[in-house]
Amino acid sequence: MWTALPPLVVLCAGLGMAPVAAAATIHAVGIENQYANVIGQIGGEYVTVTAIESNPNTDPHTFEASPAVAREIAAAQIVVRNGVGYDSWAEKILAADHSAQRKVIVVQDLLHLPKSTQNPHLWYKPETMPAVAKAVAQSLTELDPAHAAYFTANVRKFDASLKPWYQAIASFKAQFGGTPVAVTEPVADYLLQAAGCDIKTPWKLQAAIMNGTDPAPQDVSIQDQLIKQHQVKVFLYNQQVTSALTASFLGKAKAANIPVVGFYESMPTGYSYQSWMLAEVHALSNAVKHGTSTTVLK
Amino acid sequence: MLLGNSSFFSSEPVQTALIVGTCAALVSAVIGVFTILRGNAFAGHALADVSSAGGAASFLLGINPLLGFLGMAWIAAFGMEFLGVRKVRERDLATGIVLGAGLGLSALFLYLDVTTTSTTGAAVSVMFGSMFAIPQSLIGPALVASAGVLLLVGLLYRPMMLTAVEPDLAAARGISLRWIGLLQLLALGLAVAVCALAIGAVLATALLIGPAGAAIRLSRRPAQAICWAIAIGLTAVWGGIWMAYESYYWFSGNAWPVSFFVVTLVFLFYLAAVLVAKVAGLSARPKSVIWPHCEV
Repeated sequence: MWTALPPLVVLCAGLGMAPVAAAATIHAVGIENQYANVIGQIGGEYVTVTAIESNPNTDPHTFEASPAVAREIAAAQIVVRNGVGYDSWAEKILAADHSAQRKVIVVQDLLHLPKSTQNPHLWYKPETMPAVAKAVAQSLTELDPAHAAYFTANVRKFDASLKPWYQAIASFKAQFGGTPVAVTEPVADYLLQAAGCDIKTPWKLQAAIMNGTDPAPQDVSIQDQLIKQHQVKVFLYNQQVTSALTASFLGKAKAANIPVVGFYESMPTGYSYQSWMLAEVHALSNAVKHGTSTTVLK
Repeated sequence: MLLGNSSFFSSEPVQTALIVGTCAALVSAVIGVFTILRGNAFAGHALADVSSAGGAASFLLGINPLLGFLGMAWIAAFGMEFLGVRKVRERDLATGIVLGAGLGLSALFLYLDVTTTSTTGAAVSVMFGSMFAIPQSLIGPALVASAGVLLLVGLLYRPMMLTAVEPDLAAARGISLRWIGLLQLLALGLAVAVCALAIGAVLATALLIGPAGAAIRLSRRPAQAICWAIAIGLTAVWGGIWMAYESYYWFSGNAWPVSFFVVTLVFLFYLAAVLVAKVAGLSARPKSVIWPHCEV
């Protein structure tokens, strides 16, 4: 009877809508929905995945965990979290509830990044997800050795599906390497660096906006000048981290006719990790090539 | 050359901060003196704290934060007036309870801000202010609110002052204490909103009662106190903005928050005023003893 169930990949809204786990499936949690998506692609029908942070209309940096979320994490056999202080609340929940069986994959550790890493948006690094996919397959295999071959095949499929994204990055770099850009905060910095963009916005301003702290007026003036004097070709902003200051930069970029690209911090609805990343690169190259703005991914 | 960097005045965030900060210093100096003379310092502080709920709600409603602060400050002000507690001890209790409830609302609205919107840094900007991040579009509303305060006080200076210093005498002269009290609360709410926009709801008290408190210690007449309060308030705000700007160079690009510098300067001025008053023999006695039957 259980075999009649559809693939048990459930992405719920992080409000504790605990999916009913079938006895045969492994219950996994991706703290950020982009990681949950990759777990689902590797585990396929043998895994039930829940994403905790998945609202593309809120700021994940300020996520507040509820008891329902804590229960969800406590029940998980595999947890993938970002690290670099991005989801330290999840680290606390995991530390408070020891379970020898639970496998915790910290993406920061997979990439051997130090605690002092300043930009936590690791999933925008092209080399991140293949490492995550491999680690997920390894954990799944330990929990369910009978389907080892299935998981390995899915990793190969996943790696192959990233090729169009890598090609888009490479061709952008070949054609538009060195393009000067301005950003509001560092969400897509890793991707922009991989694509050879020259990020002109001072890091301290990006960090102040990301952390919601006081910006230095000097840095605000530098950003204003970048936009007003057309020293940048594209203005990229994080849709999920907004304030009066980011709104004022956005207004100035529009007034100066600089193409605007809105980047997402969480995976938007209707996308897989691969299609999302590809869409972001397309939006970037459309902005540079044709001067088109993309504020919402459809 | 005091202002080491010529780009200080040409910086747009500095210009906005200077305009809004000047508004806050002016209105808080004027209103602060009345507030302290009426013995309402704690109520003023509570209003400022409660206004944070309005600031937090403004992000949810997508309205101008100044309106948010103002709306909540007025609701709280008229709420306290409505409760109309006479004895000072009871008034402090009622004020404290309103203050707690108001901050509870702030906690809820700030939670909803981060869980339902993309708003970042709402807690810091509502509670502690972020003068360099105030959008230019708020300069107009801040100027209007400040003009409203100065106009109200300008028109009602004599009855307001007499009510504050000698309420019985004011009543005997046919002044409606109720009306003057209400208008004063209206002005106080406006001042609180402007201060909260500048240095945050929690720190607004510092501007609201700090310069006025220092000024009263240094003065023999109310008008003199208002002048001193304006001078101290403006020096603290301008000095704070300048120090925050310069701190960018002191700490290799990690500028410290402007609210910290403003509030610290206010505190230092208060300490200095206490010392000066001691040396000059102006002791800290109740207002009726300091200024008995003074020329209002």
